[in-house]
Amino acid sequence: MQNLIDFSDKKVLIAGASSGIGKQIAISLSKLGAAVILIARRENKLQEVISQLEGKEHSYYVADLSQTGEIEGLVKKIVADNGKLDGMVYSAGIAATLPVNMLKPEKLLSLFQINYFGFVEMVRQVSKKGRYNDNMRIVGISSVASIRGDKSKTAYSSSKSAMDSAVRCMAKELAEKGICLNTVAPAMTATELYDHFLEKYGDDSESSTTLLKRQYLGIIQPEDVANAVAFLLSPAARFITGITLPVDGGLTTT
Amino acid sequence: MDMQEKIALLEETLELDEGTLTAETVLADVDEYDSMAKLSLIVMMDDEFGVKLTGDVIKSFVTVGDILNLMK
Repeated sequence: MQNLIDFSDKKVLIAGASSGIGKQIAISLSKLGAAVILIARRENKLQEVISQLEGKEHSYYVADLSQTGEIEGLVKKIVADNGKLDGMVYSAGIAATLPVNMLKPEKLLSLFQINYFGFVEMVRQVSKKGRYNDNMRIVGISSVASIRGDKSKTAYSSSKSAMDSAVRCMAKELAEKGICLNTVAPAMTATELYDHFLEKYGDDSESSTTLLKRQYLGIIQPEDVANAVAFLLSPAARFITGITLPVDGGLTTT
Repeated sequence: MDMQEKIALLEETLELDEGTLTAETVLADVDEYDSMAKLSLIVMMDDEFGVKLTGDVIKSFVTVGDILNLMK
């Protein structure tokens, strides 16, 4: 039996792996055979994720990806320690709620620093000669917010649109190196963020009912997003590059 | 930051004309104090005072004075 989504002997770097979707991607890829290399700010959370992984050969690095000047040294060290990479997933980011009148340039800059500049810098560093194996795949975690408007989401939504635009451009450039890159755009997913939403509104509130009417397949599980990421990292997706794949429970069709 | 400066900051955050608020102003009487204004208040309190407002705390505010008490 042929299995196209098999990451045995593959090394995948996951940035922003300590919680939510990034954490689930680490767990799912480890179940599919990958050796995963995790990056996040909080060491205790990273150790917790490592303890939930299948297989061995996993490692982690503590780093703040909003410090973009440090990414080059970090990637060099990771490649020196672990060898060339087969994949990179960028799941780091914050979902700030900032009304326009509070959207000072420094706020916007600090959100873009982690959501967007960190992503582009990470792509730039892992795609340098000698740091990747043939057919490397890169996936960024975007959001359906990138194509939808909402109050107080200017900074977050535009940072995700920026990611999507970046992969369309970088895909053309990096194709020459045999690298494909895409983004995955989840809608409301059952992570800590959704727990906060429920705390705020309750699951029988108007906001919840409206959400589920639009996202008619229901609340997405982190595994569903991780499965889409696994597909895009695999040879099954070798002719897919520069796209944004919605994993949205139908949201963008309503 | 003295009381007048705090009130001025609140007026700016809630996009109210200067001199609109006093410590005794009842928030329910301020039309502009809507859900977006509350979001702005959350951001301002965090930025300026390092105070993280929860939904329950915001619901407990009755007068401007209740907010001023946390601006420190």
